[in-house]
Amino acid sequence: MIAKIVCYALNGLEGVPVEVETDVNKGVPSYDMVGLPDAAVKESKERVRSALKNSGLLFPMNRITINFAPADIRKEGASFDLAVAVSLLKASEQLVGADIGDIVFLGELALNGDLRPINGLLPILISAKGHGFTRFIIPGANAREARFLGGAEIYPADTLLDVVKHLVGMEPIPPLEMAEFVPNAGRSTSADLKYVKGQPMARRALEIAVAGGHNLLMSGPPGTGKTMLARCLPTIMPDLSFDEALEITKIHSVAGVLGEEGIVSERPFRTPHHTATTVSMCGGGNKIVHPGEISLAHGGVLFLDELPEYKRSTLEALRQPLEDGKITVSRAGGTFTFPARFMMCASMNPCPCGNYGSSERTCSCTPSEIRRYRKKISGPLLDRIDLQVEVDDIHYDELTSSEEQEDSATVKARVDAARRIQRARFAEYGISTNAEMGEREIAQFCTLTKEGDGILRSAFERMHLSARARSRIIKVARTIADLDGSEDIQPRHVFEAVSYRIFDKIG
Amino acid sequence: MLTEEERAYLWLCTAEEFDYREKVTLLRAAQPAEIFLHAEERAEEILHRPIVTPLSMREERADALVKALEQADAFVVTLFSDDYPESLKHITAPPLILFGSGNRELLTKRKFCIVGSRVIPPWAEKTGKRIAKELASQFVLVTGLAEGGDLAVIDGALPSGNLISVLPCGIDCCYPAAHITVKQKIREKGLLLTELAPGDTTRKYTFHARNRILAGLSEGVLVLAAGKRSGTLITASAALDYGRDVFAFPHNVGTAAGEGCNDLIKKGAALVTCSQDIFGWYGMQCAEREELPLTEEEGRVLAILREEGEMHLTAIAERAGMKPFEASAVLSALEIKGAAVKSGGNKYSILS
Repeated sequence: MIAKIVCYALNGLEGVPVEVETDVNKGVPSYDMVGLPDAAVKESKERVRSALKNSGLLFPMNRITINFAPADIRKEGASFDLAVAVSLLKASEQLVGADIGDIVFLGELALNGDLRPINGLLPILISAKGHGFTRFIIPGANAREARFLGGAEIYPADTLLDVVKHLVGMEPIPPLEMAEFVPNAGRSTSADLKYVKGQPMARRALEIAVAGGHNLLMSGPPGTGKTMLARCLPTIMPDLSFDEALEITKIHSVAGVLGEEGIVSERPFRTPHHTATTVSMCGGGNKIVHPGEISLAHGGVLFLDELPEYKRSTLEALRQPLEDGKITVSRAGGTFTFPARFMMCASMNPCPCGNYGSSERTCSCTPSEIRRYRKKISGPLLDRIDLQVEVDDIHYDELTSSEEQEDSATVKARVDAARRIQRARFAEYGISTNAEMGEREIAQFCTLTKEGDGILRSAFERMHLSARARSRIIKVARTIADLDGSEDIQPRHVFEAVSYRIFDKIG
Repeated sequence: MLTEEERAYLWLCTAEEFDYREKVTLLRAAQPAEIFLHAEERAEEILHRPIVTPLSMREERADALVKALEQADAFVVTLFSDDYPESLKHITAPPLILFGSGNRELLTKRKFCIVGSRVIPPWAEKTGKRIAKELASQFVLVTGLAEGGDLAVIDGALPSGNLISVLPCGIDCCYPAAHITVKQKIREKGLLLTELAPGDTTRKYTFHARNRILAGLSEGVLVLAAGKRSGTLITASAALDYGRDVFAFPHNVGTAAGEGCNDLIKKGAALVTCSQDIFGWYGMQCAEREELPLTEEEGRVLAILREEGEMHLTAIAERAGMKPFEASAVLSALEIKGAAVKSGGNKYSILS
């Protein structure tokens, strides 16, 4: 008898339906798999055999052929185990009368018949729902992730035997109840701007950066709290909407880094170490392509501590995703596009010894050393960082002062207001923040007064700015005006925007 | 095209076979062409010592020099040229030969030297640049090619073209190498000068020797910033030796980058804060500086900054009763107008 069971393979962030066809025939006992399975899928033979036996089910001693269709996609991973087992049971007539119909089976089997969780469950469920499937059996350990998908019957099972009992109607599993999405429900960090002492300029830069979706570079002596400031970024960013959360969760699910919560409810904050390779940053892999750090930071913050220490090639690879908001990774196994719309926040010391510009300590670097150090960051990359701010040296008095600083919630309220203005403005343009504006939007929404244009002209001449830097200054000025609630860009907004370009020397 | 005589002179002045004194002795006793052709005999006769370089090698060396000069588009000024700077003749060991590239006419004009160490406070850099710009209306500015002080002078004076940059290496080399574009611009608008033969690279002593030319060319030397052991002090002391006027910027007491300047003032150098001080010294008229058009806010912030000279942004904001980011916008306006400068770590300094 032939049995057909549907399961799903992962292709980038998309699920692709795969039919598992099993034929159990009379003949010399054998067990073959065809249809481009890779090693991990072929190994499922042994797992399925043991799982069946140890669950008290029968492994047919017949000629067994298992086919994965369509045959032209490479199947990877262990997520087909359950489908293979169920189709074997069905083909060997052990599931008589069970209503299998269009149920999608997902899960990896342990030798004792337990179901193990799989990576990328959410993207598979979303794709499958799009393909018209509404009934799923998934591993119980994946239930947290699945409960945010509405409009589907999802049955979490812990063992193969539970699945069988459910299918034959002995002990039906109650379908998963859909959970409500609460933004920041699982916030774990204690970061809050109220714990940051002093640093008025850096705080302001953080606020502007988040309000307009701009990239940020903080430069300052070691130990002044650059990392702490950066960690506050997610706390002042707008809450995730459910759709955004789902999109981010998809990526995290595929990469296998999804937390206990089952959904990413807080904006991601990724801090790859400076030894990170280009592939780990951008995504890649041998056959199956995994999303990299920039995709994991999608919708949140990519924090690059000690920017000049990163490999030049790694940083340069960020340039294109910074512009496009996505990364396309091409490998022999296929070409995959992952979303990568992140806010880049970087920190660096002002010079190799770290004391340049410090009031307390003297810098021991020569001008050529400082130049070499700064040259590690290319001009084009620097151009893409709209805001550059110096972080102050903290004095002991400031550290111990008990003066209350503005907390993240207050700042976030202002950010939300500025974002609302931007959303209303760009409603018809398919973008949502000032940083995403192209030349067309700049021309339309960022008309400068004659005075403002004059300022920019003289700043342009004195700072030897590139054309790209000019539009970046205008975008930042637009954000500052939005935070100010001002319709027009006033000269003071332009001046402030100019003051955030510390690496373009004023001549 | 060089004459035989000039070619021989060129060879002699850059020959490694003789030291400076021997070259002078030779030149006093015989014509360069004669020495070139019969170096063995003349050396024996005049210097009482043999030389071993055969004529063929001397020819080769002279040809190479001529070719290198042509390639570098450089000209030669000998001690006997009409436009050899008069003031340079009065120093000890004047260069026997100078290689130049650029505007040769600058050699005969009035010259003034401004130098500063490579690490220089931002205010001194900006003020130095402004003074260089203003002085360039009356003087040809003389300086080096390094970063910091030299670059400030170059930035200030180059637009007018009244700039001579004296190199511590051959005319076809560039030190620091990163300043190759700066060097190119100076060649187009100003003048590059050196006493070293093409192909010579920097040595410790070439800086020392170059500094004597800086002082020798100029009527006066202004030191923007110098540490206790800065190389710029060599220029200042050479200037004193040659009887040139020495000027210096005053620096905060205890600032390492300015100790050398303060020492110079202690020893009698004239204290300079603006170009009028120098124009006045030489009895020159100078154009009145235009009042900067400032808004009320800018004026207020500038007045606060003027009280202390250098202040942190937060302190300025507090005194002005503004939010820090508002103050930063005003300061950025002042910076663009050239009235203040960011001096690192969110601090601002006033410019006179």
